[in-house]
Amino acid sequence: MTILVQEPHDEVCFREDGKRLDGRAVDEIRSFSCEVGVIKNAQGSALVRHGGNQIYAAIYGPREVHPRHLAKPDRGILRVYYRMATFSVHERKSPAPNRRENEISKVIRESLEPVLFLEAYPDSQIEIYIEVIAADGGTRCASTTAASLALADAGIPMKSMVVGVAAGKAQGKVLLDLGDKEDKVGQADIPCVVVMKDKSISLLQFDGEMSLDEMKLGFEYVLKGAEDIYQSQLEALKSKYQKISEEALKEDAKIDKSAIATEEKIEDGPAEGPEDLPQNKSEDAVDLPVAEKVEEKAAEPKAPKAENPAPEPEGKTTPSNPPGDA
Amino acid sequence: MSAENKPVREIVTPGQVISTDPSHLAGRGAVKEADQIISVFVGLKEERGKYINVVPLNGLYNPQIGDKIIARVTAKTPVKFLMDINSKFVGILKPSDAFRRSHSNRGYPKSMGTYRVPKENEMGKFKMGDMVICKVLSGSRVEEPTLTSLGQELGPISNGVVIVISPTKIPRVIGKKGSMISLLKNLLHCKIFVAQNGRIWIQGRAPENERLLIESIHKIEREAHTTGLTDRVKAYIIQEKKIRGIK
Amino acid sequence: MIDISKVVSSLEKNYIRKLLKQGKRIDGRGLFEYREVTVTAGFVPKAEGSADVHIGDSRVMCGVKYDIGRPYSDNPDKGVCTVMSEFVPIASPMFEPGRPGEDAIQLARVVDRGIRHTNCLDYNELCVKVGEFVYILFIDCYMMDHFGNLTDTAAIAAIAALLNVNLPRAKIDADGKLEWDGTYRPLNISEIPISITFGKIDDVIFVDPILAEEMVLDGSIAFAVDEKKQVTSIQKYKSATWSVEEIMETSAKAVEIADELRKKLNLRQYTPKAC
Repeated sequence: MTILVQEPHDEVCFREDGKRLDGRAVDEIRSFSCEVGVIKNAQGSALVRHGGNQIYAAIYGPREVHPRHLAKPDRGILRVYYRMATFSVHERKSPAPNRRENEISKVIRESLEPVLFLEAYPDSQIEIYIEVIAADGGTRCASTTAASLALADAGIPMKSMVVGVAAGKAQGKVLLDLGDKEDKVGQADIPCVVVMKDKSISLLQFDGEMSLDEMKLGFEYVLKGAEDIYQSQLEALKSKYQKISEEALKEDAKIDKSAIATEEKIEDGPAEGPEDLPQNKSEDAVDLPVAEKVEEKAAEPKAPKAENPAPEPEGKTTPSNPPGDA
Repeated sequence: MSAENKPVREIVTPGQVISTDPSHLAGRGAVKEADQIISVFVGLKEERGKYINVVPLNGLYNPQIGDKIIARVTAKTPVKFLMDINSKFVGILKPSDAFRRSHSNRGYPKSMGTYRVPKENEMGKFKMGDMVICKVLSGSRVEEPTLTSLGQELGPISNGVVIVISPTKIPRVIGKKGSMISLLKNLLHCKIFVAQNGRIWIQGRAPENERLLIESIHKIEREAHTTGLTDRVKAYIIQEKKIRGIK
Repeated sequence: MIDISKVVSSLEKNYIRKLLKQGKRIDGRGLFEYREVTVTAGFVPKAEGSADVHIGDSRVMCGVKYDIGRPYSDNPDKGVCTVMSEFVPIASPMFEPGRPGEDAIQLARVVDRGIRHTNCLDYNELCVKVGEFVYILFIDCYMMDHFGNLTDTAAIAAIAALLNVNLPRAKIDADGKLEWDGTYRPLNISEIPISITFGKIDDVIFVDPILAEEMVLDGSIAFAVDEKKQVTSIQKYKSATWSVEEIMETSAKAVEIADELRKKLNLRQYTPKAC
């Protein structure tokens, strides 16, 4: 591979005023934004922009395991495919998955397993596809953040959200969330994934030189940074629905009440089921219109129950259809 | 409960503590850890007596006994049909649950000896890809459900079209006491069968009606978590009908 | 939308066919109405050029990277340009991880031929030193969301990404070594090929099939059209047969639609300024 322009390389990580080259303080994360529901085909999906990273994650499943022999009879399996686009890095990456990608897929998988209820999906698999479109250091952390968002968006039960963020050390100082350039000159890097519920750490790698005190400071920074990212995650998950609610309110204001009222003459029209069903014409078919059957359904509404490992109170709870109208 | 007697619905996220009251119990979509009740979904929180539930805003269909679903024949073995039911499971439909027994077999005592009624080839009656309205006979969270296509409203579909939406939004398409369904049926003069697994069979008077019906259903799906949906959908359909000149 | 899976039944096919017979489509479009196309370019900082194209809900991301290597011996003064496509499983429950399959390779080849035979790239310009150093351009198309007609989506993404390219200028120093002269330049692109795909069910022909139509159609045909209103490459897919009249009529339609689309998209606006 011959390239003309070498990757820009700074020997220093700090400006004269003590801040980092991009103007951040030592314990500040890079710009972060995220969005869910970006891939319409997927069960759940997310886009994370973290610094210069652009990472898409999509969830398919739970579904049948292919090939069959990988299936486990007592629990579901989680499969993570972390891939980088060929044009995401400075020197074109070969499209075939390499050892690094396979390793990162594995550590991401293991960081997500503790928050999922995999025992509720025997013989099934949940697939997480992660595509790094632009890479700028810390992709494994940002990918985990994206995967967590996509899982939540897909409606897969989770004990907690997880957030990935790295700490590190460059030029003798402990830093939070190293960019690509800082990573290159840095002495140490600790990518972490934090389970936000109890602030425990589910992915941990560490390379470099650091004293134990510095490491402790690093973890403090990580927990602080994770909290910031977590808030953005929650915002993204809620805003997908809140936006629609707001639009709906605006639309409600525009509704011409009289127009609805005049058309009120809804006749109790014949509500049929598929008329060509052979069974409908069979001798035992009672002359009961479908509408009534449907009403029965609605009267005992069924919100699709999730694989909730919690003991389900019998009969006492009536799960209702999503928010009711007046 | 608010003044209009509407349950207060708050969007909650996985891992969020939704109650610390020790007398509360975790309902659906929630788990109890120590004294805290934690949501496991992005969903709407609702309190029902002592129970705190979270109604998920997205998710897959989970078969329950008695559900009416629309299934698609995706594979056959010599003795059963395997059905895609838009779930992590494959539904199993056995010919004995799919076709009425032929009457000609009945009434012949065994003493009639060698006389045999030729057996129909029941496995040939459904083709690959056929859509069948089925009812879930058995199955649990961890087992593949068995289905039947015998019974009222059940059986293969031969015309119209089947669309698919997120199964969590199905109750909204039905509406309170079927109000949304009758609204759609009456305003657009069409037939609808809403199956619990997120598939909806529709057949309209004209393609324009079907088109508007599909768009209305997608509008319901999109706005399923909002309030005042019935009125909004009604206004939308009336307005669109005028614009498109649909009777 | 319409419930579509790998196993297609006569239900969907009959419904789509019934509508097409009446000149209607399941998504409400006319037979020769294209979906809305949106283009975003230059969103990947580390790629030389990039584009993110939506046709309706279908989405393809394309990035261009370069390398400098030896030219082919039969064309010592010409650069090289290769198109690759990845059907990443992110895009559809029907895609599986692994090496590119037949479809991915065919799609890449069709896009490649669209670019190659329109002569839109100046291959001589991509030569640094005859017989020794030429630019090799890699155009990688990533299918991000599959809602039908990925060929056209990828073709627009590829040409938009090429137009967006800002290539470092190379020079040969006194010792015959390769060096960067510190400046960048856009590519000299003389033509903008636009690909238009038609589907066919029975004898009804329609443009820009969506996924539901793609699953049930008998065949489809893709035309690459250049700015001189010439068809520069054709690919027929699947088993349907086409009469000569049908092909000629469809070609004329393709030229018309491509012309309109090209004007509307104005892809040249994504060309960076030389510096």
